[in-house]
Amino acid sequence: MSTGPNETAAPTPERPRPGASSASAPRVRHLRAHVVIVVWLALALITATTQHTLPVAHWLAIHLFLLGAVTTAIMVWTEHFAVAMLHAPPPDPRWGGVRLIALNVSAVAVLTGVAVDWPVLAGVGTLGVVAAIIGHVAALVRLGRGALGGRLAPVVGYYRLAGVALIAGAVLGGLLATGALGEAGRTGVELAHIHVNLLGWVGLPIVGTLFMLWPTVLGVRMEDRTVPVARRVLWLTGLGLLLAVPALLLGARWPAVAGLAVYAVGVGWASALFLRTVLRRAPRSGASWMLAAATCWLVVGVVADLGLMATRELSHLDPALHGLLPVLLIGFVGQTLLGALTYLLPVVLSGGPTDRAALADLLDWGWRTRLVVLNAGVLLLFLPLPAPVGAVGFGAAAAAFAAFLGLAAAALVRSREGAVTGGAGGAAAWRAPLAGAGIGVLLIVFALVAAGLPAGTTSGGGGSGTAATGTRTVEVELKGMAVSPSRIEVAPGTVLRLEVVNRDTQRHDLRVEDGPRTPMLGEGESHLLEVGPIAADLEAWCTVPGHRAAGMSMTIAVTGSADGGAESEPGHGHASPDGLDPAAEHSDGWEPRSAVLPPAEEARVHEVELRAVEADIEVAPGVSQRMWTFGGTAPGPTLRGKVGDVFEVTLVNDAEMGHGIDFHAGALAPDEPMRTIGPGERLVYRFTAERAGAWLYHCSTPSMLQHIGNGMYGAVIIDPPDLEQADREYVLVSSQLYLGEPGSEGQVAKMREGRPDAWVFNGGAGQYAAAPLAARAEERVRFWVVAAGPSDGIAFHIVGTVFDSVYKEGAHLVRPDDPGGAQVLDLAAAQGGYVEAVFPEPGHYALVDHDMRRAEAGAHGIVKVTP
Amino acid sequence: MTGVDLWTIVRFVHILGAALWVGGQLALSLVILPLARRMLSAEAREGFVGAAGRRFGLLTVALFVPVQVATGVALAWRAGVTWESLAAPGYGRVLAAKLVLFAAVMLLAAAHGWAHGRGRRDLARALAVAALVGSLGVVLLATALSGA
Repeated sequence: MSTGPNETAAPTPERPRPGASSASAPRVRHLRAHVVIVVWLALALITATTQHTLPVAHWLAIHLFLLGAVTTAIMVWTEHFAVAMLHAPPPDPRWGGVRLIALNVSAVAVLTGVAVDWPVLAGVGTLGVVAAIIGHVAALVRLGRGALGGRLAPVVGYYRLAGVALIAGAVLGGLLATGALGEAGRTGVELAHIHVNLLGWVGLPIVGTLFMLWPTVLGVRMEDRTVPVARRVLWLTGLGLLLAVPALLLGARWPAVAGLAVYAVGVGWASALFLRTVLRRAPRSGASWMLAAATCWLVVGVVADLGLMATRELSHLDPALHGLLPVLLIGFVGQTLLGALTYLLPVVLSGGPTDRAALADLLDWGWRTRLVVLNAGVLLLFLPLPAPVGAVGFGAAAAAFAAFLGLAAAALVRSREGAVTGGAGGAAAWRAPLAGAGIGVLLIVFALVAAGLPAGTTSGGGGSGTAATGTRTVEVELKGMAVSPSRIEVAPGTVLRLEVVNRDTQRHDLRVEDGPRTPMLGEGESHLLEVGPIAADLEAWCTVPGHRAAGMSMTIAVTGSADGGAESEPGHGHASPDGLDPAAEHSDGWEPRSAVLPPAEEARVHEVELRAVEADIEVAPGVSQRMWTFGGTAPGPTLRGKVGDVFEVTLVNDAEMGHGIDFHAGALAPDEPMRTIGPGERLVYRFTAERAGAWLYHCSTPSMLQHIGNGMYGAVIIDPPDLEQADREYVLVSSQLYLGEPGSEGQVAKMREGRPDAWVFNGGAGQYAAAPLAARAEERVRFWVVAAGPSDGIAFHIVGTVFDSVYKEGAHLVRPDDPGGAQVLDLAAAQGGYVEAVFPEPGHYALVDHDMRRAEAGAHGIVKVTP
Repeated sequence: MTGVDLWTIVRFVHILGAALWVGGQLALSLVILPLARRMLSAEAREGFVGAAGRRFGLLTVALFVPVQVATGVALAWRAGVTWESLAAPGYGRVLAAKLVLFAAVMLLAAAHGWAHGRGRRDLARALAVAALVGSLGVVLLATALSGA
């Protein structure tokens, strides 16, 4: 037995190991497991380095690292240490192997399932991970039974609890990865998933193991109080997680903060003990320095997490946490892995003391430089510095990891040879080939970068008989409201491919006229656009509203064809029919937008979730138009309350571009609550309706002309305190309608010039002519009207009635008992109010915008009055 | 493309040369040298390794480099590659990177021979491994050129 229980748990590690056999079974098992770990690490590193090329790469890199490498390592080592600390007989190695294989196969399934967007596979993989961990926890529990139990037996409690944490974390992760959850509560599940896995599954075993490993690595006796402290820290961290994780899941911020604080106290207590140990003997080896630095990053990470959570809404926490990930993933977890493996690999892989020293020597190679480079990298990533500095930081950390991986791979290969031949051989023998391999890999990396790989694939221009000019790939940068190059000249017939990279912090896309378009690209993302053979001049532009106008366009010009421009003029260009067909019928299954306004709810706090989504809506008989909406309808839902009511509106951005929201009914600083949120983000907007009126709400993101013009508006009705009961209430939001591809040049030009294709009530041209509003004779009917614009107001009139009551912009202009009457409610863009009419007798009363251009172009409807 | 024409043969020779050179290095370092280390006495090993290295070096200089350069230039001319197009993203830039990497690998291989001759074994081994890994990169770039 080369890895007897006392070998690693012993406080004095330098003891020679008598009678170590060179090819013992545990050694071979460790060898295999660590080959797997090193492969996972290498894949994670490669993915992280090339992450801008794949959409799920960021996720993939993190999970290759945590689910692949770290989880495998924790499973191997917690079992190893549990045996040592419990003085238990080792469990059946076959079952251990089965668990490891099950874990790794399942991890591959999860990663593949998410990468190729195959939720079933991800779900099956999740179940596999959970099953493997249940087996692992069961094995740890079984080890405890009937074992002698060493002094440090309580540490095994960390491992068991960690296993339970991973079961919870994996289930939450599975819900996220398979999309089983939908959008509801996603933020809470994500936060709970991150915390239970990082602080539970990864954090607990590391902290627990350090009680034993830290003094061992330093080569000093354990502190006398280690065991009681370990017990208390386990209680604190365990309780903290038990409080924080469910609280995060339920979105309860302060209990989560409290739980995290308890966890932090536990970590702080353990760190204080570790610090006392260091005071007795300073770290000397690479392993001890890395473990020390890693523990510091853990403290920094937990404290920063606590601070963020205490000062931010949970819904705003996610982006902030991303800034912390480098600290926890690289500084803490990665560095702990490096430090622990540097110390432990020689222990478990060596065939004897000489061999062990040689392995340790090999793994220690250049540790000072690696330590400094790694931690400097983490620091650069952690500090709020401009993006290029962060990239340098990442490069430094990645280089340090790559160097360790090379050394670990060499140690594994060397140890394998040792296991086969029993030969020792100095570590120096491996340095030359290792250095050579490093130089070779560096050369390849430089060559790939120079070749523009792997940012995009290249064309086979040298293929059979095609000249190199047959296919042309051009790099296109989106940056600073410009597309560069702004002009590309190609020979006629050239097959053009655009390698589009967004170098801007804002999201952009690129659309080629009559051709393909890229998805919305975040910062650093790229997309290869196959434009195909070019026969005539083409334009390409960013479709985000306002960006083309600001200069984000490029010309693809055909050389040697003077009339190319004329040819390219698309006769059928933008799908924006001029004028609507008044004789058209609504399509089958069309339903009018209900204008009925229900009374305000009794509750004084109104919680509303509004999702910014794009939707195809029938905006006029037989005409479908892509709209940008709040909640899938244009206008968005009407909110109604009383003076003093609180509205808590959660805006969720399910669209591809940024959106925000502006409620005229409340007064708040435009900076924070009205800020634009990116795709996938949430924003809670809370306002108190201090004043009565019919108010507009709309998207607050520039260009507002386009965001409102494309449908992002709605009404908030705050009842005046003395509002009399009416027999019926309707709400009508009037607006202009612009057809065409949202954000396209043609549509935006019409908006700018105020040439809408129609004027509409509640988003549909003539919809209440097709589906009249109902009333009975002698009934008092109240019509709330809000003018959403974006540019025109309204002269609201109902043919055949006189308004005896007019309330406009917070004031009663006419009341029923006044002698005067009103014929029109006139509203400028964004104004609102109501009118009341009593219909004298049965009949069809037309409601119109009395600007007859608008009435004839959609702004008309019927009130059908029955006896 | 139908049938076998002159250009097929040129391309065949180009690929065959690369296969022989990269494959030769791999076979030497993965099969022959480890076996030599294990099975031969120190003295015999020294002589064998030296002789194998010299022969491989001779083949490289006398046959491989001229054939690769000649067929490579011909293929590039046939594909319409110009100096200008080498700088363009896509095919041109990949080809340029491949040429530079190939040149670097040849320099490394030459330096290996020199270091071996001077008895600087560690340096020679490092350079040999670097040349081998680098030549794999050349193959990778060549695959990227003809693929997609």
